[in-house]
Amino acid sequence: MVSPGVWIASLIDGLLLGFVYGLAAMGLTLIWGVMRVINLAHGPIIALGMFGVYLLFAYGGVHPYLGLFAVALLGLLVGILIYAIAVHRVLTAPHLSTLLATFSINMMIIGTGTALFTTTPRNIDISLGRLVLGPVVLLGTRLLAALAAVLIAAGLYVFLYRTTLGKMVRAVASNRAAAELMGIPSARVLAFSFGLGTMLAAVAGGLIATFFPFTILSGGAYELKSFVICVLGGLGNPTGALLGGLILGALEGLIPIVLPVSWVPVIEFLLFVLLLLLRPQGLLGER
Amino acid sequence: MAMLEVHSLSSGYGEVQILWDLSFRLEPGRLTTLIGANGSGKTTTLRTVMGLIRPWRGAVFFDGQDITMLPPYRKAAMGLIMVPEGRQLFADMTVMENLEMGAVTGRARVRFRQNLERVFNLFPRLKERRNQKAGTLSGGEQQMLAIARALMAEPRILFLDEPSLGLSPLLVLNLFEIIRRLKAEGLTMLLVEQNVHLALAISDYAYVLSSGRIELEGPAREVARDDRVRKAYLGL
Repeated sequence: MVSPGVWIASLIDGLLLGFVYGLAAMGLTLIWGVMRVINLAHGPIIALGMFGVYLLFAYGGVHPYLGLFAVALLGLLVGILIYAIAVHRVLTAPHLSTLLATFSINMMIIGTGTALFTTTPRNIDISLGRLVLGPVVLLGTRLLAALAAVLIAAGLYVFLYRTTLGKMVRAVASNRAAAELMGIPSARVLAFSFGLGTMLAAVAGGLIATFFPFTILSGGAYELKSFVICVLGGLGNPTGALLGGLILGALEGLIPIVLPVSWVPVIEFLLFVLLLLLRPQGLLGER
Repeated sequence: MAMLEVHSLSSGYGEVQILWDLSFRLEPGRLTTLIGANGSGKTTTLRTVMGLIRPWRGAVFFDGQDITMLPPYRKAAMGLIMVPEGRQLFADMTVMENLEMGAVTGRARVRFRQNLERVFNLFPRLKERRNQKAGTLSGGEQQMLAIARALMAEPRILFLDEPSLGLSPLLVLNLFEIIRRLKAEGLTMLLVEQNVHLALAISDYAYVLSSGRIELEGPAREVARDDRVRKAYLGL
């Protein structure tokens, strides 16, 4: 019989992780929502975020949480670059073209990354101590990562609903031609939105790197999680992504109590398939 | 001098040419109408002038400046504003947000407050519904919002593409009353309409488009008396 304390501790641990998963998924869902592109370079971007924080810390002595700001900026710029080089010209082509274009970017990042960094696992050696609340022990790094994810998600919401540029992003997402006719430079707004999506992915990667070891290939697993989360929350819905992240995080916390940990992806993807069959619009979706 | 001068414009979709050497001019402060049957190229004309479709040949001059190849957003920034066919609102954004998105260019932003007041005076219903999502408005309200959004952009020329489409007869009359008021305020407009009778009645000048070519042009009153027009479009 597992004590209730273990259940609570695992649930909270999973939820903390879930916020970060949700953040990564928001990047994927934002890009889909604005321009109907499934970014198959999402995973490698997450891995680049991990390496960004790691390299700045290991070689530049930059504190990981400070490094995150640099990683955010780089994530934005890399995304804009990817959009300009690979996405913009195939944006109006059938979906297969954007899938292939972003998949090529995926392969390029992984190939270059493997050559540069090999696939030896790295980790960022920091500790923020732990918080003990009765039976619940919380790692400081996870607590801070969850807090950062919540703040960034709130920031994204404020940006999209309260600033002119954010509203332009929504306008272009809603009707690109009409936005252009009203004087909104839609190509630039799209490039920026793509950058915003990759920024979220890179930052999520940087946060994950503060508590899990990683290689350049690690992004793939989180990319798959992002897909499950996006479908849970309704593709294109950032708020839904956060909710989906929490659900996935909770599952990851709780399943290992009753089953071997290797069952986690099995159950996650079973959920994914069931959702696609029963509620493809997502838990929060309307249509 | 004409405010907008379109010179020998040709364009189309893919391999299919729709417009053939189209030339027309818009004089400042005048309401010009472009009429013609379905598929005659009216919407294509507007889309080509605005830059949503790349012109094949020909030129567009605005205030004597060649703007043929500018993208739509640059043209909008100069004051060429189009109310597209089928409203094309930002459906999941509120009425107020739609109006804000009308006023993103530099010249519109500085007059945001005055224009908002003007638009709410013109369409009091929009003021009542300013926090409602545009997609939940009725058809008539959506058309009001589409025009209001365009007016927020501080247009120097307003292009109206089939504004009466899908409106009840009463709403069509309201719409034309609004257009008449805008005309009285001195706004330069190009009206593309299926409702030929009403369009000719309120316009100063008319062009008749047929198979992508200008078939006839002249003061609206004279065009309305033309036998071909009476037979083909007015059912007389």
